[in-house]
Amino acid sequence: MTTNISSDSQLISSYMKGNEEAFAILLERHKSRVFTTIQLIVKDRYTSEDLFQEVMIKAVNTIKGGKYKEEGKFLPWILRIAHNLAIDHFRKEKRYPTIVMEDGSNIFNCMDFSEECAETLQVTKETNKLVRQLIQQLPDNQKEVLVMRHFMQMSFKEIAEATGVSINTALGRMRYALINLRKKIKYHIAYDQNIYPK
Amino acid sequence: MIKTFTQNDLISFIYNETSREKKEEIEKALLCDIQLQEEINKLKEAVKSLDEVVLNPSNKVINNILKYSESISLHPSKP
Repeated sequence: MTTNISSDSQLISSYMKGNEEAFAILLERHKSRVFTTIQLIVKDRYTSEDLFQEVMIKAVNTIKGGKYKEEGKFLPWILRIAHNLAIDHFRKEKRYPTIVMEDGSNIFNCMDFSEECAETLQVTKETNKLVRQLIQQLPDNQKEVLVMRHFMQMSFKEIAEATGVSINTALGRMRYALINLRKKIKYHIAYDQNIYPK
Repeated sequence: MIKTFTQNDLISFIYNETSREKKEEIEKALLCDIQLQEEINKLKEAVKSLDEVVLNPSNKVINNILKYSESISLHPSKP
């Protein structure tokens, strides 16, 4: 029997031997972090789901194809795949932009709004939604560092290498991102209280 | 008191990426520097708000992935 307390390495090893339950646990364990990273980059929920599926299918193919190198870094590996796919998509979208609604859905998806998605959106907390929207308003270079450090858990050294800047620049961008984000949150809270005074 | 750390050091500090010496230096300064305390608290507040951003894919997508995995047979690499 596979337990939830197994390490990622143990689960992958078990999955490589054909234990599908081990993969289900890995997926459950990391789905939020991977999906959040994707959606913060591409914005549109439906595209994020497609990309998430693509990321996980790549992982399945790599592991089951015997090409996965176990170095105890499953999450950084899967997050890197997710980030690369999301960035590729984001760059294409910049050339062919789609209209994204306030809730993160593509405007064309409104015509076929699934019950499941509406339910998921209802469950989403207001603060979660607000912060997510405010992250999208940050300059691209600040948002990039913020996603890499906070959601992908890359170190500033790794971020500096990945983005071709110095560690100090990466740190500075993170600092501005946090300061900007806090200012925006404060502004929104003050604005809401003016409209709906307590 | 002379500060020997930069604004960027504070970011390294809140993300636990600073050296032990620098960490001790900042912690020591925090005991008596109210301005520094406020600055660190502002940054921590912003970091905390990020922790609230948790998004999940739909169950439909999860089931699709699990079904796909079950449909793929193992091809272990040759030694």
